[in-house]
Amino acid sequence: MPSDTDTTFTMELMYRRSLGPVVGAFLTGLRDQRLLASRTAEGRVICPALEYDPDSGDAVDDLVEVGPGGVVTGWTWVPEPLRKHPSDRPFAWALVQLDGADTALVHALAADGPDAVRTGMRVVPRWADERTGHITDIACFVPEEG
Amino acid sequence: MAEDTATEDPGAPVRFMPQLIGLDYTIKTNPVAAAFGAALADGRITGHRCPSCQRVYAPPKGFCPICVVPTGEADLVEVADRGLVTSWTVLTPIQYAGQKEREDYALASILLDGADGTIGQQRLVDVPLDEIRMGLRVEAVWAPPDERVADDRGYGLGSAVSGWRPTGEPDAPPSAYQEHTL
Ligand SMILES: [Zn+2]
Repeated sequence: MPSDTDTTFTMELMYRRSLGPVVGAFLTGLRDQRLLASRTAEGRVICPALEYDPDSGDAVDDLVEVGPGGVVTGWTWVPEPLRKHPSDRPFAWALVQLDGADTALVHALAADGPDAVRTGMRVVPRWADERTGHITDIACFVPEEG
Repeated sequence: MAEDTATEDPGAPVRFMPQLIGLDYTIKTNPVAAAFGAALADGRITGHRCPSCQRVYAPPKGFCPICVVPTGEADLVEVADRGLVTSWTVLTPIQYAGQKEREDYALASILLDGADGTIGQQRLVDVPLDEIRMGLRVEAVWAPPDERVADDRGYGLGSAVSGWRPTGEPDAPPSAYQEHTL
């Protein structure tokens, strides 16, 4: 019997999610180190790929490649990562607008500290060594060299 | 969950994704629950007797929810580690990630001798599933002391009791549990 004064609970469920043609293609792209976005009838490029045009609700099946680099459009620093965060070191959650995309995706950004992150900075993905078709196939984004 | 995404052809389109949904909670263990947990580690089940209505709550809550009066150490009572089955459910496990059960099993609500409320979700052991019945007398099978994890102290028995087995005594009469059935 631990003598601490905290009681912890963990509730977890593992889902097996069926992806469909658009999200499936997006994650297939990640596995193959390609960043795919969906292009609406108006020509808006949405990444991560969506199955529908958020303005009209129309189905979207036109996929285009974007990135791999992009620009940070917003971020927040995580000084104490939690167990399920993608990094066990402090990192930033960043909105990254990939080159050629009109929307930003959220992902982890590895940086030395909050002073090393700023809106407008250029970043590139660091790919995971083992890729399975999951958003974690991008291990994180890192500042672009030079 | 590698089997969910791996395919014969590593270049095949990705059709499924494992997705873990989870929440971690940490709560402060209140003194009443901590004392209950300490007793469990010691192989004892304790409760509080309401000074107003005399009902015994195990696990103790630190108050009587009927009378809305506080209870404390002065109201501490020992409750037996045996009692009777008031209701039960047979579960047939479905094989999902994290599921360790393979065979049908039963969880019961148990009215402990000396308590006025049942303890739920208790594993029944050493009894064929089709011989479980209301009024069946059972006793606690205590886990080894170093395996009595108190994770849900104050809410149940945690892993202090690994199961409940029939005592072999005659069944309790319906009058013993008619106020405690669902
Ligand atoms: Zn009372």
